[in-house]
Amino acid sequence: MARSAFSAALEALERTAEAPEGYCRPFLDVLPVSGASVSTIGDLLGSETLAASDAQAARLDELQFDLGEGPCWDALRSGTHVLAPVLQEPGRARWPAFAAAVRDEPVSSMFAFPLIVGPLRIGAIDLYSESPGTLDGRHARQADAMAAVVSRHVLRRALNAVGRHDEDAGSGYSRRLIHQATGFVLAQLDLTAEDARLVIQGHAFAAERPMMAVAQDIIDGTIVFSRRSDGIEATG
Amino acid sequence: MSELEQRPTVGGLTRERRLMETFASLADTLVDDYDVVDLLQMLVDTCAELFDSTAAAILLADEHGELDVVASTSEASRLVELMQLSADAGPCIEAYQTGRMVSVADIRDAPEQWRRFRESALAAGFAAVDAIPMRLRTTVIGTLNLLRASPGALDPHDEVAARAFADVATIGILHERSLRESAVLAEQLQGALNSRVVIEQAKGVVAHTRGVSIDAAFQLLRDYARTNRMGISRVAAQIVNRSLDLDA
Repeated sequence: MARSAFSAALEALERTAEAPEGYCRPFLDVLPVSGASVSTIGDLLGSETLAASDAQAARLDELQFDLGEGPCWDALRSGTHVLAPVLQEPGRARWPAFAAAVRDEPVSSMFAFPLIVGPLRIGAIDLYSESPGTLDGRHARQADAMAAVVSRHVLRRALNAVGRHDEDAGSGYSRRLIHQATGFVLAQLDLTAEDARLVIQGHAFAAERPMMAVAQDIIDGTIVFSRRSDGIEATG
Repeated sequence: MSELEQRPTVGGLTRERRLMETFASLADTLVDDYDVVDLLQMLVDTCAELFDSTAAAILLADEHGELDVVASTSEASRLVELMQLSADAGPCIEAYQTGRMVSVADIRDAPEQWRRFRESALAAGFAAVDAIPMRLRTTVIGTLNLLRASPGALDPHDEVAARAFADVATIGILHERSLRESAVLAEQLQGALNSRVVIEQAKGVVAHTRGVSIDAAFQLLRDYARTNRMGISRVAAQIVNRSLDLDA
């Protein structure tokens, strides 16, 4: 796929922040897959399919939720993408119940990409292909980049939905603290300021604490975000 | 006895000269491509020095009319928080809302509805305050605040100069071309406030990477900007987008 198609897809994704139904299409435009679904998984935002390009994609999501196993769970746990070019053979050993459940369905390959913002693992994107095939390194990197955009949209929407947006920031002085803490986090995780702020917001939400209190802890060094080989984690 | 003590007017003349120099350098600044936050920082520093003030701060209103500290003689939370209290219920918000200068010659006499400001100010060692609106025709965009350690009114000559500083700061924020269009006006005001956001973020980056306090980080930013003849907002923006590393 030409680089311009990928750029166009990425831009389209950036624009569809508020419309989950637009999250799947760009993946289909760029990658050799038949369908896609986007879902939140886990304790933070609950398990829910936000968007699916077709009924098959939605069903694959649902099965994985019900069975508690499958590529999306592994992607979320490992924090990296999971490629299963042949779902039935090696896949059966890895996900026996899931592979058995889809044995008679037109699904040859599955690829899952985690939805991650900083230390927060919030969901996954599942891609499936009717015909056997895989994603090469470039495709996987492109999907990672698109998943990163979707991750931010999903977290931001979820925080807005529960009323945890920037009003939380309070007075001018506490806003200042949050900006300073944003600087700490962007340096710790090598993120943009916007993403670093979202990390603080998401962390505050997960910890059920005011953003200002989390910001103060970041400045004091009691909360430190660090990049590790197995992903990003927060200590403190 | 030194000559200076015998003839206090000499001190006064020196001060007039300092005022003139300040206005001259302001005029220089305004015709050039300048950094608004640097300009405002210079103004609060000069105010504190010339008007016998312990501290000075400029607050600007955002699009919702909420006032934020954009420049202050100290970045210490003590002053920034006090200014924010003044912007919630105190001289600052009154000057902003009425468009008139609000002077409190003795903070102990401040009204009850300003209790939180009054108590914090006294605890911080301030005895008198003046809040001067920054106004462009009918629009007030923020306030210039002067704080003194001993009670008493601002010297009338100082008041004239301080008002002129507030006007210059206003012009500095809203360049001439914005006078006609209120949308552009809001944008430029927001630009100054956004610069402040980026400076706070850059303070965080430097505090983390250098392992220094937030205040020390601000000083490092200022020193770097000065040494390299760059505006502090530009230095901050480059640090935040990671294209500049003070350690490098």
